[in-house]
Order: sequence, then structure tokens, then C-alpha cells
Amino acid sequence: MSPSALNGEAAVGPEGPRQKSKATVDTLGVGCIAMVEKNGQARRAEILSIKDTKSGRQFYCNFDNFNKRLDEWVPAKRIDFDHDVEWPNPDKDKQKDSKGKNATVSKKKAPPSKAQKRPGKREQSVASESVTPHTWPEVSDTQPPSKAPSTPRDLEQKSAGTPAIGGDEMDVDEDDQAPEVKKEIEFSREAEIEKLRTGGSMTQNPTELARIRNISKVQFGQFDLFPWYFSPYPESFTQEDVIFICEFCLSYYGDKKSFTRHRQKCTLQHPPGNEIYRDDYVSFFEIDGRRQRTWCRNLCLLSKMFLDHKTLYYDVDPFLFYVMTQKTEKGHHLVGYFSKEKESADNYNVACILTLPQYQRKGFGRLLIQFSYELSKIEGKLGSPEKPLSDLGLLSYRQYWSENIIDLLLELNDREEKSSIESISTSLAMTTQDVEHTLQALKMQVYHKGEHKLVLPESMIQQREKAKSKKKRYISPENIQWKPPIFTASSRTWGW
Amino acid sequence: MTTRKVRYKKLNIKTPLPVLREHQIDANEYESLTTESQIVTGVEQGEENEYHLQAALKGVGASVDNEIPVPPPQKSVEADYDELYPTPYVEPRNYIKSSDTVEETLKGSLYDMTTEDDEFLKNYNAKRPGSAHLSEHDFERIMEIFEDTAAESAPYAEVDNTFVPYELMSQAISHHIREKSVQGHAKTIYEYWRGCRQVTGNKSLHPSLKFETHQEHDDMDPYVCFRRREVRQTRKTRARDVQVADKLKKLRRELEDGRQLVVFAHRREVLKREMLKTDKLVYEQRAKLKETKIRLNIKTDDDDLVNTKPQKRPKTEPQQPPRPTPHNQLRLAVRPDGGRSMEPVELTLLRDKQSERQLELLNNIELRVQDHRRWNANYIDLTADPLPPVKEEQEQNFRPAKTTYLMTPPASASDSMEVDETPPAPEKSIEPFVFKATSLEDSDEEEMPSFRRRVGRLGRLFIDRRPGKLRTGLSSPSRESSLLQSDRWKYDDDDDDDEPPVYKIDTNSLRQMKFRSTIPLPTSLVRRPGLDIAQLQAANRPVALPQGQALLQAAQAQAQAKAQALAAQGPSTQVPLVQPTMAQQPPSVQPP
Ligand SMILES: [Zn+2]
Repeated sequence: MSPSALNGEAAVGPEGPRQKSKATVDTLGVGCIAMVEKNGQARRAEILSIKDTKSGRQFYCNFDNFNKRLDEWVPAKRIDFDHDVEWPNPDKDKQKDSKGKNATVSKKKAPPSKAQKRPGKREQSVASESVTPHTWPEVSDTQPPSKAPSTPRDLEQKSAGTPAIGGDEMDVDEDDQAPEVKKEIEFSREAEIEKLRTGGSMTQNPTELARIRNISKVQFGQFDLFPWYFSPYPESFTQEDVIFICEFCLSYYGDKKSFTRHRQKCTLQHPPGNEIYRDDYVSFFEIDGRRQRTWCRNLCLLSKMFLDHKTLYYDVDPFLFYVMTQKTEKGHHLVGYFSKEKESADNYNVACILTLPQYQRKGFGRLLIQFSYELSKIEGKLGSPEKPLSDLGLLSYRQYWSENIIDLLLELNDREEKSSIESISTSLAMTTQDVEHTLQALKMQVYHKGEHKLVLPESMIQQREKAKSKKKRYISPENIQWKPPIFTASSRTWGW
Repeated sequence: MTTRKVRYKKLNIKTPLPVLREHQIDANEYESLTTESQIVTGVEQGEENEYHLQAALKGVGASVDNEIPVPPPQKSVEADYDELYPTPYVEPRNYIKSSDTVEETLKGSLYDMTTEDDEFLKNYNAKRPGSAHLSEHDFERIMEIFEDTAAESAPYAEVDNTFVPYELMSQAISHHIREKSVQGHAKTIYEYWRGCRQVTGNKSLHPSLKFETHQEHDDMDPYVCFRRREVRQTRKTRARDVQVADKLKKLRRELEDGRQLVVFAHRREVLKREMLKTDKLVYEQRAKLKETKIRLNIKTDDDDLVNTKPQKRPKTEPQQPPRPTPHNQLRLAVRPDGGRSMEPVELTLLRDKQSERQLELLNNIELRVQDHRRWNANYIDLTADPLPPVKEEQEQNFRPAKTTYLMTPPASASDSMEVDETPPAPEKSIEPFVFKATSLEDSDEEEMPSFRRRVGRLGRLFIDRRPGKLRTGLSSPSRESSLLQSDRWKYDDDDDDDEPPVYKIDTNSLRQMKFRSTIPLPTSLVRRPGLDIAQLQAANRPVALPQGQALLQAAQAQAQAKAQALAAQGPSTQVPLVQPTMAQQPPSVQPP
């Protein structure tokens, strides 16, 4: 929102004054904010975890205004200890506590227990939405720092430690936290839980643990993938340098021998469902989460490593998975997929959508999106992706939307026809909100001489022309062999 | 967030907007019109300001390629891809259809041996002669059984640290593994397995996901995944209760029907067994008889040792219909033995032989007639008018039945002739059977597909079509459809209470009518009513029809009767009875 965000400076600071002082390798703890070198620049970073390795202590850093996927373990030498370190604000702890299950109880309470502490992160992020859209307050409310080094797994123990400045006692007064703020927080927490219960799949997992990438490397088919986010694979996998995932059934292995054995037994060569689209470039398979529970769970675990806002909180049963593959002499290789609720209360046509990293930036995302809209067209519905979108998701969707809207408007302009938002929406199976937002983002919707008008900027037209000359690939709707699946009343009643 | 000045009227999404190019309005003006505004992105607010995203968003619309940096994937250097994925893929020509699950497509055990297992197994095998080696495959099978049995009999092993004793395991092993040679390894592997479990805190050896345990800390554990979704609560209302009750009743009824069916089937099979026993008895008695005969030197022909004769006799005596049903045969086959197997009366007779031959002849002709009819029926169906069900009865009124009857070989069974001459006769004979009620009500004018023209609201012209009634004895769907149609039609006379004009036309199409006029009536029409009787008789035997269905059909018939009565006589008190069926019917058939 503020332009300074673009310069990579902290758009916002902590709400209350933060304790600042010098730290050492030993005192620097979880929750501290320090200046850490990233891509040759010093950047504010929050320490999310600490581990001791053979080569020395390492700190897991989340960088100010950088996406979590750029978080990394850094050695102490990349941290600027000449610079003051911001210590975590103990007030936060207090607030977090009061927001817990018994939020109505008075603020003055014993220090939070582990169980109560954990939800803090999520509530805080909710709070930041409902109160101020600040990034750092959200980040800064972890446990009090600790002097004790630790591995990611004993994160909780840190709360026992006390920083040099300010202890648990400091949380006594709640001066600048207005009560109504808290109410709001509580309210949105309810809303959040409700959303989890009734809605689709995406709400961020609350805990601190989930903020830290737990798998470092994945061998998948011909590729080594480097995960971006936490994924709830078996906990023991955290200790593996590399995990192995079968390219076809997506089963996961921490042990190489096990994986090799599995490969000798695995006979799958394509996703375990019906092919509903085929051209000379890609195929699509429709997979029922209920029928193919194992496969779909495996897919979700895999994709969680690259989707921050996906949650695997609920099972895969209520979803259909549309899986895009590319064919080689070995079989159909998973390129990307989107999931879709069998029945979406909000008429979303996509729940989660992902192109695997090794296929990114090749136009596959657009194919996935186009396919999702082609299905909506067949269903005779308007569709929209479930929110929140990831940064990459937003860009892909914006691109798809603008391309299609511009093409449509160019035609209309040639024919000198008028068009309403609604008619654009119907012909592209996009919701009217998405149409409007795209038009606004492209600055094409103007108010001129007492009249709303759609204007195609010259730059946009040229850009579109250029893009068209690149011969991009598209889905051919006539190759889709698909009927909207119908789920019986009983399957709904029994909750799948 | 939005900094836009709200000075203009709100845009309605239905308003047609002119679509212009930049130069079609003043370019400078356009510049000034486009204000900086923050648009809803759908990205989580905390991330909206991320450096790379903002940079990339700026790039949208401009030609800048701003990309969001991501940790790049690499071609794996360690993996020997071809070795891991050796199987070549053959693409089927058609779109792939598959529903096998991951577990189902695995060929081999679900346990995958680990590096440690591998070491153990190598050591283990090293100490043994080559012939007694345990293969990786068999090792995995054994381990899988241990794991499965442990999961089954000690699901809380992790908590209470119970180890399933070897005795139990060996039972499972001998149950699942046939080969004695493999079974022999189980004991040693068990010890190894136990050791492994001890190391891992008695958890299952395969790393597993964490599922919900329904304890409070579940919610906070990011490793817990794939929870069951709570079933949506449906609101409790009276209407819903009734609905549910109705469903349960229906379910109960249907189950009862099913049960009846099973009971009857069981009874039938018991009877069959009885019959076989009796047959055996008969056979044995005859054997004795024969011995006795030989011993006593009685020289008659051996008729009393064969079954055929006695079977025929009772049939010819009372004048039975020509085609004995299998049921009759059963009963008759049993009787002579029980009653009078030892009686020497059976020695006859030319008369019997003749009548038998006669019967055979009749049957033969009957069969041919049927064959021919079938052939004819098909022919007509395919060419004349394949869509609507065969219109049989109505055409009786259309042309002299005799003429068409000559087209088929004359049947010896005479009922068909009778039908032609006096169509109502069979119907009367049917009357006693409730089941028949549907077709009972078929009055003559309803046997034709009928049309009428009427003027609806706003002067719209409707042509209502009602296909002709079909006799019962046809498959039930067609009977139902005629039932529906009569119902539908009943509510159509909004003009007056009188019988609407009925046009006796075959179909809408002139071409079809023309065609129809050129073809002879299928023989099936001629024979049909006679057949009906037989079928009805069969159907009306209580055993053949589950009670519930019979009831249902009776009810349908009743409704049908009422509907028809109504159609003819105007409204009466019965209306509510019929209405439920009515509600589901589309109003009237409009001409294309
Ligand atoms: Zn596999």
C-alpha cells in the first residue's frame, strides 16, 4: 500500500516501542528481529528458529516483506551484530494469551501454557487483518527469546527462557491494546474457525512450527525440488536431507531403499482417474478425492510444500482434483493441478491451484486456469478461485483475466458494440467482481462525461499483440470429454 | 484503501458500456481519468505488500517482466531416473479410464523394506545356504503381516507399549503365507521386527502421517492433517421429520419386498429338493420293481418303468389348454408315482400317442406363429415407427382384422380368431384379476393415439397428443407411461367439462401416416389378447409376484381407473387420490 514497501524497507514497525539493544550469537533468540544479509543486502529478518549444526549455529530467518518461500537458514556470519536487535515484545504474549480459548477471562493470567500459546500465531495474523494490515506485528509475537540454542523441534521450550531485557513480568499492563481491538480479534477468530468448518480448504495453519520449512529437498522424478513451505509429512522426515516422492503415485519416502523397493512394485503411470482432456501437449485427469484418498492426500502433501495458504486441515473427500499431465515414454508426468469442491457454497471453481516448480514459467498455469473456466462454462456457472490467492496465483489469474477481457473488448470495439460488465462476465464464465477488478487494475474502466466507459489503452493492445505472436498454447474445449459430476443427496447428507 | 473519489454514479453491472480505444477519447483526458487506486487482489493482506509481488503487479500492463523469485528446481543428479522408472509407457488410443487406487495398483506388499532391513536381510541370508535365502519380496510380506496384525490387535501399542506375541503373529503368518519355506523365517524376522519397533517407540515402522486423535492439542498441531469434515447439520423441521419417516417407511417396504422374494425363492428351492428326492425314490422303487419283475418273470412292456406315459394321461383327460406350464409338469410328474405307480393300468394306448402327437403339432404351430409374429413385430418396429411403443390395439379399429390375419400362417389355436371377432371377450375373462385393472379400463376410444386442438391463454394454439393405451401383458414401463399420459390428459380440459374432440390420427407426421397406410397390421396384434390371458394367469399366481409389488400395481390400476373415470365424467371426490401422480407430469405435449 505505501510505496515504500517497494523499496524493501519495513513498511511498518512494531506497534509498541520495542526493546532494542545489541545481541550476541548466544543471546539472539527466536522472535528477535535482526539485520541479516540477503542477496548482498542487509534486511530486517525475524528469527523463527535456531539450530546447532556441525558448522555452527544457524538461524531460520523470515525477511521483511519477502515471501516466506525465501526464508532460509543462515549462519551467524550473515547476521549484523553491530546493529541493534529488536527483542520480541512481551506484550504480545499477553495479548495472545487473552485471545485463547478463554479470551473472555481477564487479561491478567499466568504465563500461557504451550497449548494456549500455539494458537497465537494465527490469531495474530487475523488480528493484523482486522486491525491494521501490518506485517511485522504479526511476525513479532512469537515467544520470548531464549538464550538456549535449540532445534526447531523444541521450539516450545524457548518460552521458558527470559530475555535480558523484559521478562514475563513485563506483560502486566496492556496500555495501548484497546479492548475493542480485542473484541474484534475474537470475533474474527470465530469467523476464521467458522470458515475452516464450512468453507473450502485454505486458511493458514496457525502454529509457529508451520512457519518453518520442514523438508529441505525432494527428489521427484527427474528433479530435485526445494520446498517453499511447511508440509505435514511424517515428522521424522524433518531429519532427512532429502525425501523421495514417487512421480506417479506420489508416495513419499525418507529412506532410499524403501523408495527403490516401492518403485519396483508401483505400476501407476498416470494419475488414477479418468482422462477428460487430451491434446498433443497435455492431458487432464479428473480424480475424486473420496475414491482416491491416498493419491489425493499425497498430492496435497506434495503441493503444500509450494502453497503457503493451503491447509491440509480437512480431508480430501469433498474435493475433485483436476490434474494436468504431460506425456513421455515413461508415462503421464504431473505438471500441475487444481482442486475444486464438489459443492462450493461460494461458487468457487478452484480451491487450490499449483504448477509444480519444475514446470513453472512455461505457460502451464494459464492452461490450468483456462481449463477451470472451461469446466465452469460447461457447467453453465460463473467461477472464481477461492481466496486468498498466493502472490503467484494472483499474477497468473490477473494475466489470464486481462488477456481474455482485452481480447473480448477488442472484438467488441471492432464491431462497435457496447458491453456490460455482466455480459463480459457471462461470456468468460468469470464473476462480475473479477471482471470489475481486472478492469480497474488495468485502468480500463473510466468515468467520462457523465458516462462509464471501457477504454482499451494502446499500450495494452500492443502488449497483447506481442503476446499473441508468441504462439502460446491453449486448451481446445472441443477435446474435453466431461460432464459435470453429480453427487447424490445421500452423499451430501452423510458428509462424504 | 480505495482512494477513488466517489463523485460519479455507481456502475450497474447490467449497463451497456461503450468499448473504446484510447484514441477514441481524448488521450490527455484519458490520462487524467485513470486514477491510482488500490484494487482488491484477493491476496492475504499481510502479503499484499511483499516486495516482489508489488514489483510484479506494477509490471502487469507494462511490458516489464517482473518475476517473483522462487527457489529453483534442479535436474536431479543422484537419481538414476531410468533405473527407478524403467517401464515404458504405452498410451491407449482412447482417453484413459481408471479407478484403481494406489494400493490396488501396487503389485507386491505394502511394506517397503528400509536400508536397515536390507542390511539385516543380507546378513541373515549370508548365514544360510542359497536355497534357504529369504527374498526381499517374502521379507516384505512377513513384515507387512506383522505390521498389520500389530495395528489390528494392538492399536494403542504406541501408548501402552504392548507387543503382539509371536503366537498370534505366527497364526497370521500361516493364514496369509502358504509356503512352508517362507513361514520358517517368521520367527527370526519377528525378533528383528520387535527390535525395530522398540527403537521407534513401538510406532508403526512406516513413517506415517498424524491424524486427528480428537484431543484438544490436535488443533494446534500442524502435523495433524486430513481431519474428517463435520457433517453439515440439517435443520430439524416437522416437514423434514415427515419426509424422513416416509423414506424409512418406503425403505421398510422395499426391504420387506426383498425379503418376500427371498422367502419365496427359498420355498421354491425347497420344493425342488423335495421333488428331486421323490424322483430318486421313484427311481429306486422302479429299480426294485424291475428286479421283482425279472424275478417273477413278469413280461409286460416296461411302460411302468418310464415316466412319459403317466405324465400325458391326466393332461388329455381334462381338456387342458394346449401349452402346459412347467408348473403343471412338475406336479404331474410326481403324482403317478405316489398314487399308483404299481398299478398295471398304464399299458395303453394308441389314443395317448395320437393325442400326444396332436399336441406336439399344435405346439409346433403355436411356436411358429410366435416366431413369425416376432419377426413381423421387429420388422414393423424398425421401419414404421420405432419411437412410440408398438401401437397395436388402436389399429384394430382401423382396419378389418381379418385381412391382416391372413398374412400370417393360420394358427391352430383358435383364441386369436376369437379375439378378432369379439375383442371385448378376453377383457371380460380377465376381469376377476385385480392386477389387470389397468387395462380393464381401456375403453375403445382410448386405444387410439388421440389428438386434439385447443386454444390456450393468449390465443396460443396447442395440439395435445395422447398415445394409445397398451394392453397389460406388455412390459410395465409402457403400461406406466400410458397411465401417466391419461392422467396428464385428464387435467388438460380447461375449456369445458365435456369429452374433448378426439382425432383418430396415428401421429403428427403426414409421411408416417402415409407409410402406415401401406403396411399390413402386424400379426402380433392379432395374437396379443390371447397371450395376455396366459401371461396374466401366470402373473396372477400369488407366488410369482411379491406382495408389495402386487399391491402397488393394484393401487396404480385403481388410480388409473379413477383418472379415466374422471376424464369421462368430470370432477369427482376421487381427485385427491390421483393428484400426487399428476403433480409430476409435464402439462401437455406441444407440437414441435
Ligand atoms: Zn509409486
